[in-house]
Amino acid sequence: MTERAIDTATPTTTLAAALRVVLARQARAHGEVQSLQRLTGGATKQTWSFDWVCGDEREALILQQMSEAPSRPGGPPKLSAEQDAALMTAAREAGVPAPRVHRLLRPEDGLGSGYVTGRIAGETLGRKLVADPALAEARKRLAAQCGRALAAIHALPLERSGFLQRLSPSDELRIYAGLLDGLERRHAALAYAVRWVAAHLPQQWESRVVHADFRSGNLIVGPEGLRCVLDWEIARIGDPMQDLGVLCMRTWRFGGEGLAREVGGFGAREDLYAAYEAASGTRVDPDRVRFWEVFSNLKWAISCVRRGSARRADGRPASVELAAIGRRLEEPLWDLLALTTQDAGGRR
Amino acid sequence: MSAFVPDAATLLQAAADYLEAELLPTLAGYHRFQTRISANVLRTVVRELQLRPAQHAAERERLAALLGHDGEPAALQAELATAIGDGHQPLDDPALIDHLRRTLREALAINHPNWAAPDEPTASKPPGARA
Repeated sequence: MTERAIDTATPTTTLAAALRVVLARQARAHGEVQSLQRLTGGATKQTWSFDWVCGDEREALILQQMSEAPSRPGGPPKLSAEQDAALMTAAREAGVPAPRVHRLLRPEDGLGSGYVTGRIAGETLGRKLVADPALAEARKRLAAQCGRALAAIHALPLERSGFLQRLSPSDELRIYAGLLDGLERRHAALAYAVRWVAAHLPQQWESRVVHADFRSGNLIVGPEGLRCVLDWEIARIGDPMQDLGVLCMRTWRFGGEGLAREVGGFGAREDLYAAYEAASGTRVDPDRVRFWEVFSNLKWAISCVRRGSARRADGRPASVELAAIGRRLEEPLWDLLALTTQDAGGRR
Repeated sequence: MSAFVPDAATLLQAAADYLEAELLPTLAGYHRFQTRISANVLRTVVRELQLRPAQHAAERERLAALLGHDGEPAALQAELATAIGDGHQPLDDPALIDHLRRTLREALAINHPNWAAPDEPTASKPPGARA
C-alpha cells in the first residue's frame, strides 16, 4: 500500500510499555518511549513511529510489526522479520540506503515478529514525491540515484542471501497467476495479460538479488534526493531487469506524466539506465525491462482483484480502502494492453 | 429510470458532497484518509449508475460479434476469458484487442476517469503488432 496516514484510533499505552522493555534490553537501560503513533503502511504489517529518549539523547525510531502468517508454500516470496532485517543489513553494508536495524523483536517481547529501525525524515508519499515543489531538485537526480542503488542491490553476494527464493520468470508467472485460482473471476483482459506474459517469458537472465518493490511510495526522499529504500520483504533472487520494470510502471508514477517522467513519475529512463550501466558494468536490456513492466502490471492487477475481494471472518468487506482497490483493476490492464500492442516508440 | 425521487445517484451525490465538503476539512490522519476514500467510492457508484446501462448493451453487442452468438454479457465475457486462457482465441486478433480496449475504457470511465487518454484512437492503428 502506498499511503501512510496516521491512525489515531489505536491505543498506545501497552505498546509503549512493551517497546520500553525492547529498547532497554541493551546498554541504555533507563529510557522512555515518547510520541508513539501509528503510521498505516499496509495490510500485512503495522508501522509505528516513536522517539526513544535517554537523558538528553533522543533517537527517532520506527517499529515494524509483521503479520505472523508465514509465506505459503508455492506462494509469493515473503521474508520473515529476521530475514528482512538480515537483507537490509547486508544492503546497508553494500552502500544501499536501507533502514538501519536497531533491534529484532523476540517472542518474549509480546509484540509479535518485527524489528525496530532508525527513522529517516523525508517524503514517502508518491503523489508528493512527483509534485512537491520542495523536491524539484531531488527529482532531477533521483533516477540516477535509483540506478546506482539498484546496481548495488544487484551486486549483493548471493551466498549471504541463501534464504531468498530463487525464481525464474516462469516461476514468477506460475506463483502470481496461481493467486487467481480459487477466485470466481473470469475476466477477458486479465486472461489476455496472463497469456501474453506466458508467451513472452525471457529465455535468458542473470540471477541477482531483486528487491521487487523498488518504486515511488517505497522510497524516502529529501530535497537532496534518495535517503532510504523501504519495504524489502518480497525480495527474491531473479532477473535484475525486474526492478527497473517495476520502477517505471505507470501506476507508480503517481500522475507524473511524459517521457521525462517514466521513471517513478520523477525521472527519465536514459538517466536511470545510464547510471545503472555505469555502476553495474552491465547493459540494460530495454526489451526485458519492458517485459517486467508488463509483468508488474499483471501483478498489480492480480493484487487489485485479491484486495478487492478481501473479507473479514463474518463475510463483510475487509475495509473500504481494500474494497476501493478492487476497482483499480482496469488501470494496470489498460496500461498492459498499451504496452503490448504499441511499438516501442509509442505511448507507454 | 428510478421509481423514486430523488433517485439513487442523487442520494449518493448528496452524501459524497457532505463527506467531502463538510466532514473532510474537520479531520486529520487516519480518518481523513478513510473519509476521502469513502467519498470517492460513493462517486464511483454514481458514475456506475449513470454510465453502466448503455455500456452493458454495447459490450453485449461486441461480445456477440466476437463469439458468434448472443447471451448474457457475464456469460459471454467468461466464455471469451476461457477462450483466451486455453489458447483458442489468438492474442493478436485486432477484433479482440479492439474489444478489450473499449471494455477497459468503459470500465475506467466509471472507476477512474482520466486514466485512459481521451484522444487516443481505439481502432485505427494496427493492433497486436507485438503480441
